[in-house]
Amino acid sequence: MAETEGLLKDLAGKIGRIVEKPGRLYFEVADENILEVAGYLFRKMGCRLSTATAMEMYRGLEVLYQFSHDASGRYFCPRVVITDREVPKMHSIAPVVKGAEWIEREMAELFGITFEGHPFPERLLTRDNDKVPSRPLRLRRLE
Amino acid sequence: MSKTVIPIGPFHPLLEEAESFKIHVDGETVTDVEVDIGYMHRGHEFISERKTFTQSIYLVERICGICSTSHPLAFVHAVEDVDGTEIPTRAAYIRTLVGELERIHSHLLWLGLAGHFIGYDTLWMWAWRYREPVLELFEKISGNRNHYGMMRVGGVARDVRPEDIPEIAKTLDMIEKKMDMIAKAAADDPVLRTRLKGVGVLSRQAAVDYCAVGPTARASGVPIDVRKDEPKDAYGLVDFKAVVLENGDVYDKLVVRVLEIVESVKIVRQCLKKLETEPGPILNDVKEITAGEGIGRYEAPRGEVFHYVRTDGSNRPLRHKVRAPSYVNIPTCSVSCKGIPLADALITLASVDPCYCCTERAVSLVDRRGEPLSVDVLELSRRKTELLRRDIYG
Repeated sequence: MAETEGLLKDLAGKIGRIVEKPGRLYFEVADENILEVAGYLFRKMGCRLSTATAMEMYRGLEVLYQFSHDASGRYFCPRVVITDREVPKMHSIAPVVKGAEWIEREMAELFGITFEGHPFPERLLTRDNDKVPSRPLRLRRLE
Repeated sequence: MSKTVIPIGPFHPLLEEAESFKIHVDGETVTDVEVDIGYMHRGHEFISERKTFTQSIYLVERICGICSTSHPLAFVHAVEDVDGTEIPTRAAYIRTLVGELERIHSHLLWLGLAGHFIGYDTLWMWAWRYREPVLELFEKISGNRNHYGMMRVGGVARDVRPEDIPEIAKTLDMIEKKMDMIAKAAADDPVLRTRLKGVGVLSRQAAVDYCAVGPTARASGVPIDVRKDEPKDAYGLVDFKAVVLENGDVYDKLVVRVLEIVESVKIVRQCLKKLETEPGPILNDVKEITAGEGIGRYEAPRGEVFHYVRTDGSNRPLRHKVRAPSYVNIPTCSVSCKGIPLADALITLASVDPCYCCTERAVSLVDRRGEPLSVDVLELSRRKTELLRRDIYG
């Protein structure tokens, strides 16, 4: 619990709506603060990035980074909401968290989100294909 | 920067799955490795959103033939995390038992492949010979050598019969004895030591930077193990230790796996003892899954399997994310292979026990001309089944 209190104190003003469950803390973060929040979780708290999940919801696209604090077995999950569905973009955390490179490339490919500042913004799964469906995991909701 | 690039894959006799490595070399020395994935897309996340929670268990079981308990277990953990669903104690022991038996057979499989990759086929024959009885145990417990169909939200689908317990214990005795032999052989064998010691070192810092998991991280001195960090099922009730070594080379990765088999045998023994003496239900009736989100994970043989589920109160997930351990372990190859001779690169690539079925779950559908298809994956699957049926029955 000390980790949660420390995080809320150190990142005061940068954290939006919080949902707390046993062993899990989901919180919203504005796009301009995600790099700082990710840096705090990864470098200061020693969290490991498990993965990130993009979702298309009613209010827009959500990108949820799942950081595991292995010392306590807790998860800290900052969530960025992108309201622009047509040209979705946000800051990449890959410059800070090397382990985010592949998953951000995958989200870019499957959801059409541009991750600004990504060191290698190439397609991950269909790099050799010339013609690929755009944003395949969003097709069903656009229909 | 060298200009010689040696492609390995996507289809190569030494690789059991389709993957592509472009190895940049300067003379004999590897200067860079490019990994290309994307040859095993099957669309699990996409299909899962159209299946009920129980159907999805069977779906995620088929993500990987080797981790066919780890994926469903992580998935049911995720669904149970949405509501904080509890499971009966007996079910917890059965889940742990099946999970650990899977670790034993998966590590033996890797051990055999590792032996084969370095041209030491004696190790391959040993390891696979002792893996076979474990698969037979699975057949006894679940009816299948792989894809056991044991997991359910709220417990397990099948009980372990009391009459099977003595035979499981007997097989464990044999495995333990042979693992002692292999552990001693690994420690003494000059072939293994000279071939693997100091090869493909992954530093602790690199393992942390790349967010590596499982034996890949533990061999580099990163003490992470989901079974210890967030003990679910019976892991909080059994005694075992997480094996952590320091050197980060292929040899340490091998030793970690061998010692983990010994620990797994201990865990299975403790589970069997409890299953002998503690009867009880194996499944709690879960009526509905409320709206919310849940994170489930399990320490698969290769490391943490991660599943995330977002629900809306219906009987299907709104979003289901799967992240297999190889997805974070494979990129570490670009660090561990740098500067080593080409001949050592293959065993270094294989040392993370890469599993491409797991790594790639997404799908992009194109027709023969490369144009995007509008048909959905389920429809394609149905058509394929229909063609097969016609082919078989006329």
